This record gives sequence, C-alpha cells and structure tokens, in this order.
Amino acid sequence: MAMNESRPRLLDPHFVSKIAKLDLTARLVVEGFLTGLHRSPYHGFSVEFAEHRQYMPGDPLRHLDWKVLGKSDRKYIKQYEEETNLRASILVDTSASMGYGSHSISKLDYARQLAAALSYLMLRQHDAVGMFAFAAGRAEQIPPRSTMGHLRPLLLLLERLTPGGGTDFTASLHTLAERMTRRGLVVILSDLLDEPERIAQAIHHFRHHKHEVLVFHLLDPQEVSFEFSREAVYVDLETGERVTTRPQELRSDYRRRVGEWKDKLRQSCIEKRAEYVPLTTDQPYDRALLEYLSKRARLL
Amino acid sequence: MPVFSFLNPAFLSALPVAAIPVIIHLLSRRRLPEVRFPTTQFLRDLEPREIRRLRLREILLLILRTLALLLIVLALARPSITPRNAVTHAAAAVAILLDDSESMGALDEEARTRIEAAKERALAIIEAARTGDDLFLATTTRPDAPGSGFTNDRVRSKRAIEQIEATALPARLEEAIDAVVRALQRSRLTARELYVITDLQRSNFTPEARRALAAAAAGGTRVYLVPLVSTRVANHALVDLSPELRPGPEGRGLELRARLANFADAPSDRVAIRVRRGDALVGGGDVNLRAGEVRWVAMPLESRAMADSASASIALLVEADADALPADDRWYAVLGASRRIRVLRVAEARDGVRPPRFASLALDPSGDGSSGFVVEEGTPASLLSLSPARADVVLLEDVASISGDAEARLRAFVRDGGGLVVALGPHADPTYYSARLFPGVVDLALEGPVESGAGASFELKSRMPSHAAMEGFAVGVGSPLTQSRLTGLIRGRALSVHAEVVVQTTGGLPVLVTAPGVSVFLSSLSDDWGELPYSGAFVPLVRGLVGHATRAGKAGARADSRVGAPPAARLAAAPTSAVLVRGPGGYASQASVGTEGAGFRAVADAVALVPGFYEFHSGGRTIANAAVNVDPIESDLALVSPDSLRAGTVATGAAGARAAGAGATGTAMTTLSSATALDVHLRDTRRGRELWLSFLVAAAVVLAGELMLGSARVLKP
Repeated sequence: MAMNESRPRLLDPHFVSKIAKLDLTARLVVEGFLTGLHRSPYHGFSVEFAEHRQYMPGDPLRHLDWKVLGKSDRKYIKQYEEETNLRASILVDTSASMGYGSHSISKLDYARQLAAALSYLMLRQHDAVGMFAFAAGRAEQIPPRSTMGHLRPLLLLLERLTPGGGTDFTASLHTLAERMTRRGLVVILSDLLDEPERIAQAIHHFRHHKHEVLVFHLLDPQEVSFEFSREAVYVDLETGERVTTRPQELRSDYRRRVGEWKDKLRQSCIEKRAEYVPLTTDQPYDRALLEYLSKRARLL
Repeated sequence: MPVFSFLNPAFLSALPVAAIPVIIHLLSRRRLPEVRFPTTQFLRDLEPREIRRLRLREILLLILRTLALLLIVLALARPSITPRNAVTHAAAAVAILLDDSESMGALDEEARTRIEAAKERALAIIEAARTGDDLFLATTTRPDAPGSGFTNDRVRSKRAIEQIEATALPARLEEAIDAVVRALQRSRLTARELYVITDLQRSNFTPEARRALAAAAAGGTRVYLVPLVSTRVANHALVDLSPELRPGPEGRGLELRARLANFADAPSDRVAIRVRRGDALVGGGDVNLRAGEVRWVAMPLESRAMADSASASIALLVEADADALPADDRWYAVLGASRRIRVLRVAEARDGVRPPRFASLALDPSGDGSSGFVVEEGTPASLLSLSPARADVVLLEDVASISGDAEARLRAFVRDGGGLVVALGPHADPTYYSARLFPGVVDLALEGPVESGAGASFELKSRMPSHAAMEGFAVGVGSPLTQSRLTGLIRGRALSVHAEVVVQTTGGLPVLVTAPGVSVFLSSLSDDWGELPYSGAFVPLVRGLVGHATRAGKAGARADSRVGAPPAARLAAAPTSAVLVRGPGGYASQASVGTEGAGFRAVADAVALVPGFYEFHSGGRTIANAAVNVDPIESDLALVSPDSLRAGTVATGAAGARAAGAGATGTAMTTLSSATALDVHLRDTRRGRELWLSFLVAAAVVLAGELMLGSARVLKP
C-alpha cells in the first residue's frame, strides 16, 4: 500500500523538484513509475539469447555457459543478438522562454526532471541515450551510450543547464538532424515557440534520416489558461517586447489562439508521423514515460 | 432668451471632483506591473483589434464617469433656467380669489376641510411672491368685503389668509371675478395673474361666472385655476321644511315635514333625522334616499313636548346624520302656531243638485277639522265676502266662471297671501280662465277639453316628484300617480317658467300646474272624468294642491331666511319701540318694520352670516323669532370640469381678443390640479425652473450606461 501511495508523489513534479540530486530523482521517478505498471517492461528486451558457439581461447569467461559445461563437459559460449536495441537522443530546449514558471518549477526544471527520468529508464533497458541541449548560439551534446555509467554525464549536463537566449529552434534542430546520421529515437523537450511550419520542416528533416520523433510540448499552465487578473505590461522573455494589456479582456481570445496554435502543431506532427505530446508543468511525469514506452514498443 | 443660473453656486467649487476618474486613470496607468512571459506573440496578435476596442471603451468609461460626477456636482449647485414666457423678473399684480363658500367646509377622509387646503395654496402663492408684486386677496362670498386691496406686505397678506374660514354663504363667483379683475386693472403693473382657488362646485360656475372668467383671460390676465377636489363627494342635506306643523295620521299627534336631498350617485340608507326643541329631542325618524333623490318626509313629534303648539311659535332644530358637509345637516325652523287650514270650497249647483263633495271629504273626512283642514262650502257669490280672515285657501272646483267683482276680490285675496286652488272640470270655461282669471295669477293658457275616447284613459305621471304639491307621494320622475282611469282634461300650456308642470300625462299634456301660492288641476276632482276620487292617490293629491297653495311662497312670505340675507320676521302687532335683532356669533342689528298684509314685517338691517335662531327685541321683550338657514345651492358637491372651463375660456378669449381689436391678446386658463403642480408652477415662474432633478436623472442614466459598459467587459469572456 505504501508503494501505491508513494507512486503519485514520486511522479509529481512539485514533489520531485524538492529533491536536489538529479540521479536520485530520476531513479525515484522511474522506480515509482515502474512499480505502478502491472507488467515489467524489461521482459524480452535487450538481452535476448541468440545461439551457442564453440569456446575459443581469448573469449571472456563471463559469457561461458556453465550449465552446459557442467552437464556435458563441453565449453560453449552464449551469444546474444545485440546488447542495445534502441538509440535515443533527448533534445532539451534551453531558450530563455523555458525559464518561465508560474509556480514552483519552470519549464526547464520540468524538462530536466523528465529528461533525467527518461535517461534512467532508457539505460535501465540498455538503450543508448544521448543528450543535446540547445539554444540560440549555444549547444551542448553528449553522444548516446547504453551503459549505466553513462547516466552520470547525462545528469551532470542536465544540472548545468540554465535558460538563456532566444531559440532559433528550427535551425538548431536542422543542425542536430545533420549530425545524427544513425537511425534512432529523437525525443524533443521544448515549448516549441516557433512557427509550426518551420517546426514541421525540422521534424521532417529527422524523419528523412529515418528517425522516430517524440515531441514533448512543454507549457506552463498560465501559458495555456492565461489566468492573470489585472492589467500589466507583459515582457517577452526572449525578444524583450513589451505589450500592455488587460488579461480579463483578452482571455478568451488568447485561449482560442493558443488552442489553434497547439492544434496546428499537433497536425504538423501527425503529418510528419511524429508523436506530439502536450504537457503542462503541473502534470505528472508518468504520462510522458508511458508515451515513451508506447513509442518504443511500436519501434521494436 | 432663457437665463441659466445656479441657486447654490458655492457648490461649483467642487467641480474639480469631476477630474477624479481622470487622475485615477492616469495613476493606474503609471503603476502598471511588469509580467515576464514566455512569449507575447499571442497578445501582440490580439492587440490591433481588441486593444483598440478596449481603449475606446476605456475612454468612454472615463468620459461617463467624469460626466456623472460633473452632473452630480452641478445638480448640487441647483441649476435653474428661466423659461422664456415666465414673468420671473418682472413684478406682477397677483390676485388670489379664494372660495370660502359653505361647500369649502366639506370634510375629506381625514376630517380636513377644503378651506384648509385652499389656505395652504394661497399661502404658497404669497410665499412665492417677488419683491414689487402687488398682492390682492378676495373671497368668493364677500368680494367687496373691507380689507381686500393691494398690498406689498406679505405678512399682512398671510395674516389675512390665515383668518379666512369657510362661511355659511353661497359663492358669488361672478361678482367676485369681476371685482378682482377690476382691482387688477387698477394696478400700475402690466403683468397680471389671477389664481382662483376653488372646489369647482358646479353650482358656483354659473354661465355668468364662466363668462367673467373667460373675459378675464381674454383681457390678458393669466388665469390659474387651482382646484382642490377632483371627484364629487356624496352629501345629503336638509333643503326645506314645511312652515307649519300638521296633524299626524288620523288626526292624532303632530308631524313635521322636511325636505331631504341626496346629492350623490349612490343611495343613502337610514339617514337618521332628529327634531330638537331646545335641548329636548321631540321627534325624528330614519329615511332611505335613492341616488339623486329629493323628497319630503314626515316626522312624528311627541305630543307632550308639543302641547303648547297651538298657542305659540315654536323654534325647532332638525338634524340629519352628519356627513361630508355638516353645515347643511341642520335646519332651523320657527313654526307658526299649529292651526287648521281653512279652505273655502267654491262649487256650483247644477239643476238644483249640489255638486259632489269628493274634495271636501278628502280634506276633512270627519268634518271636525281633526285632519288639519276645515272646509267651508260656498258658491261663487261667497267670494264677494272673501278675506284672509275667513279663509286661507280658495278651492274653485269646476266653476264655469266668476263675476268681475268676485274675481277682483279673489285677486286681492291672492295678493295678500291667500292660496288659490283651481280644479277644472267639464263645466269650466277654458276661455274665461285663460283670458281673465289666470293672467297675473299663473302663466297658463287653456285651449279646450280633451277626452281620451271610449275605453281609453290618460295616465298621470309625476314630472316634479320633489315639488311641495307632491308631498304625499313617494314617486320618482315619470312614475305613475295612480292606476285609476282619467278620461278627460282641459288642454293647457305653460306660458313661462313660473308655471311649473308638476304632473302630466304620458303624452305630455299638463295635469297639475303650479305657481307661487297657486295650484291648477286641469282635470276634475269629481267623477265626471273618470274614477280619480275613488283612487288612493286622490286624498294626497287634493291635500297637496291645497298644501302648496297654502305655502304661499311669495317673496318675503317665507317663515325662514337664508344666510347672506337680513333676518326677517312677521309681527302680529306694531312694535312700540325700535326693534333690535340678536343672533348667533355676536350678531346684533337694528331692524326696520313695515306692513305686510294684515300684520307687520320686521327686517334686520344687517345680513345674517351664520345660520341659527335670531330674536327680535322691542321694548325689552322678545316680539318674534326668525330662523336663518344655509342656502341649499351649496349642498350639491358636484364638480365642473376644469377642461370645460378652459375650453370656454379659450373660445371666449379668442373671440374677446378679436372683439378688442389689434394688440389684445387672450390667454388660456391654466389648471394647477395639485399642490405639487402649484409648487412647480410657482417655482418655475418665480425662481425659474430648477433643473437639479434633471441633472440627477442624467447622472443616474450616465452611471447606468457606465455600469452596462463595465459589466459588458466582464461578461464577454
């Protein structure tokens, strides 16, 4: 019972954000998530047995099949089909707009936690995970690897991320698409503040290289509902543009426009055969993790 | 041009308050907080369309709030505009004609008299008078009373108004209007205003009074009608009293006959009548009156209390239940000594046969005078010795004609106050009566006998049911008097209004015609023309004919006087010294004495203003009593329509203006139907029209608009 009660808390962004160590939070999130699943996602994954072959001098002794040796006194080596069956790249948007948070966590915090959890989950499944943090004029990259030891540099990168600068979002995506030549899963964590057509072109670029694309569209609840109450000067975090307005006057029109924008993004993703997952920073992480697992299941 | 001004200009210093919304707006704009937001692209997109609209609305709201405050501040400063046609600045001659007639003593539901409301209106007019106004006050009952005149002294005018009370007198509206108009014309001021404060009693607004009012308006005087009531108030009244006591039914006891009127559109049930002699209650009864009914009622009197009725004049006070107008619910009467009416019945024997005595039996059935009538049978020759000492009434029954001497004697008898009853019949000569006897006695022309024909009969219908000759009948207008057959009558025609047709046939032929002291029955009191003597109506009919003739009704012969006239009394003997009259309310006056018939008549020098008993003293003793009563003309509280007066004024005013030639301008009459209307009128014409209420209403409208605009902002999302 205690497990069931703790699971939602471990998936709650507000709760997780209070835990300083990112590796711990990633583990807690994933373990909490997995505990709630009825069926382990590991069965039949990544460590599939392929065939036996004759032991040859120089082969690592840890792959020797001791059971066969004990029964028949012959030395066979267990051969596996492949150590890693998915190559995932997590793209984290670090533009200034990602630093916005109307409550305890910003969009970047949410992206950081979610990226950590996804990394931990992927590495637990022996998937190779790479990380790309991008913003206008800067980009950091960690190439994909599948060992658990690879988690540490990933988390270190995530901890270093700070919001800043504008997002030439599509330019960065195009650059990354050119670098990632090997087919894999591309997970994008961004608020997608760009023209839907240009985003569609960038996704198309990934798809052109046979990548599967999973887009987590991260928005703050205020960006969706626009629940501000009083007249104020609204300053654009990326462009510095100032707009004076009365939220109560514009709220309905604003919501309608944001809805249209999201619908357009969703439509673009569908057209490019990418998964579009809208998330607000007050939603639990399990939805994102489920989407990933669902996508992976379809890929393998 | 209209002049705009402020009556409280000090409040204008608060005008900067109107800038508060602008200041708040500017301050709130300067202190706008900054909100850092991921992107402003969606707000920016909305800006051109929505923000412009919002800013426009914001400016509108700002204007509305500023305007509302501005209007409120201006309203507090009491803005005022002087209409172009107002006489605000020019002094005017202002006349107030205040109705103080008896009807102004009528009570409303709160037991408040009309005169009180009238005085309030008059005081309001005086209060609103401007410096330099000539003020003139007059009343409708005594327009020329001392004390009326122009004054600039408001205090004096107010005091004069406060002293006015409802009188017992009838209104003399025509004279009052003429007097006021004459007074206005004497003023050096050209602007003239006449305020007529009245209860609009229909009987006051005679055609002459209407013409006088119209002439005043046509002469350029602004006439303002200030009515105090808008509906007719029900009122019953005692309007007359039989001057003599009568023997009661079957000759037992005494009865008093009073005439009651119900001036109402609804019946009055169980009106209690009480007869008092001094402090003692001596008789009375209950009466039911139909709507608009006027009729005589008989009230039995206690025999013991009236034991001395045969030897002295009796002062009685008759009271009816008090109603809206208490003044006419009392009737003072000084009744002559109860006596039998002496009737000389003149008839002709034909072919040696004495004429039937139906009429004599109807008057004195037992032959002992116990019915109150004593009948002496006579012939035309009996008239030669006729005198008031012998008879009170002469009954000519089916007499063809009388000699010249007898006729002269009869005329002298009638002139001296004797009564005459003429009953025609198949033997009466219509030509004689028409040409010889009736002229100077009754304005009636006779043409010839008319018979109904075989099997048919005339139906007698009451035309004037309240007439004294109909005392014995309880009928309405048009009611049949009897079911018995009447087959013949003499066709007659009334020649003037002085000959009143009291009863007529269904076809409109007169049957009973009266004049003061004279009754003419145009059919037979015998059974020559039908079966009338055998009907139940015969006895009251004959007694009514004689009763009316007895109550001679000649000028000055009344036993009572009216208020507004000098009290008068008959004296049996010449007074030995000067006659002094004393009455209620401190009344005291000398009286002059003249002869009247066989006796004397004393008439006071001063008019009586209060109803009541008036005593005539001479040589230190009371020689006669007189009763003074209110004029019943004031009892009907029916109203005249202000519209009809105004329409008459306009029509006559226009005609008057045309008649007066170029330069004369007639003005219509204005009705100020309530105290509020009068206040508004006075305020508008004296101080200018105050606009504070309009400003407040405008402010409320502006605020409502602001609220609607503001709430639309909230509701739309």
